[in-house]
Amino acid sequence: MASYSESPEEARGRRDLAVAVVFFLLSLLVLYLPGGVQSQIAATFRATLLRPFLSTQETLAQARLRAEEAGSLQARLDSLASQLAAQAPLVDENRRLLELLELRERAPADFLPASVIRPGTPGSESMFLLDAGSEQGVQVGDPVIMREGRIGLVGVVQQVRRGSAIGLDWSHPDFRASAMTADGLVYGIVEPSRGLFREDDRLLIDGIPFYETLEEGSLITTSGLGGVYPRGIPIGVVERLHDEEGGWRTSYLLRPVVETGSVRHVLVVLGEGIPEGVLDLFSSEGDGTAGSDSPDSGVPNVRPPLSSGGSP
Amino acid sequence: MRSRPILSILVPALVLLHLFLHLGLGIGRGAPDLLTIALLLAARELGMGWGGGLGLFLGLMEDSFSVLAFGANTLSLTLAGILGARTRDLFVGESFLFFFSYLALGKLFRDLVHWLVAGEGVREPFLDAVLVDGTLAAVYGALVGVVVLIPFNREEMSR
Repeated sequence: MASYSESPEEARGRRDLAVAVVFFLLSLLVLYLPGGVQSQIAATFRATLLRPFLSTQETLAQARLRAEEAGSLQARLDSLASQLAAQAPLVDENRRLLELLELRERAPADFLPASVIRPGTPGSESMFLLDAGSEQGVQVGDPVIMREGRIGLVGVVQQVRRGSAIGLDWSHPDFRASAMTADGLVYGIVEPSRGLFREDDRLLIDGIPFYETLEEGSLITTSGLGGVYPRGIPIGVVERLHDEEGGWRTSYLLRPVVETGSVRHVLVVLGEGIPEGVLDLFSSEGDGTAGSDSPDSGVPNVRPPLSSGGSP
Repeated sequence: MRSRPILSILVPALVLLHLFLHLGLGIGRGAPDLLTIALLLAARELGMGWGGGLGLFLGLMEDSFSVLAFGANTLSLTLAGILGARTRDLFVGESFLFFFSYLALGKLFRDLVHWLVAGEGVREPFLDAVLVDGTLAAVYGALVGVVVLIPFNREEMSR
């Protein structure tokens, strides 16, 4: 009687199936790995295989920046210089008042300029990469604000590596910020509100007391409560009433100050955050940019760009 | 179909082009998902085991930029690689219509698995993410895939 033996095709098929099962189990394992291991794997890929492609985007972003009109940059510089000149008496007055009250002078905040890289891959829609990391002093939880045009909140740093960081912008479902009206009278919590399409995404300020009315066009800023975002960073402008809940609280839709898709360069707020009122220096006439480096004047320190050797 | 040139030329070229368009130039949905197309084409040549392996590797690359849904791309591409290879035993067509359907359905399947695995907090509504965006992306990717296949498979596709 002929004994049964597996044909080579069958054996190959079984081997193939076994290998496929191993890879499938590995992919399941990846899904349930601890967060630290996952971010280590991701960082390894970004620093090795994907590095040339990320460098390409960094180079393109830098080239785009350099191609900006010199006239526009000059206008921003002039605007800033006039602002600083106007603030000088106030700074002096403030110093004298602090001396009279025997209060310690607040340390100026550190700002780090950085380029934003958008991966454009599935699952990365609300995140961005920064070309600055722990080597430059960036820490998890540092707020990221826009550097060009009007200053506004972009998001927050989520992961930090040596020379790069990953941040989540305001359109991420997990984004929350304690917020207030610019006059500091009404407080609420800002969260993203999905539109039909991503271009339609808005912010929502929730938890507004029923008896308070927010006027259309009112500016909403961070309140500084909660300890993540410093007080006074513009978030959005009130668009319309969204919902009234049970006659005791309301929510309003906000038009974000920063359209995240257009962000190319940002400032990372390092350390303790922004001293109150400092952002006023940036936001004159919707034309903000980084200021000069003058510790005595209470003006924020803007570190030199990475290419010119900025270090913590 | 000539499998060697597909594996040695077309698949690496598609992967590099995908990375250049999405990472180098930062084009999001404007660029087709050539990574999935490359995987689906390679899977039919490699078989289930290595199709899954390639999916795992490409998925990990995609997940390098996924903070809160890490592993969703890995699982979806591994499954797409395994099942894509399995279609070789079930369907032997090499026509334009076959490849278009295969690539489109493969891409849609990959998006569906990604949506299921990504988790409620991260994903967009099913209607937008899978039915509208997913279908458009599948058709777009399949069209591009069929066009790049033409030089490698001219005779069979013209039947």
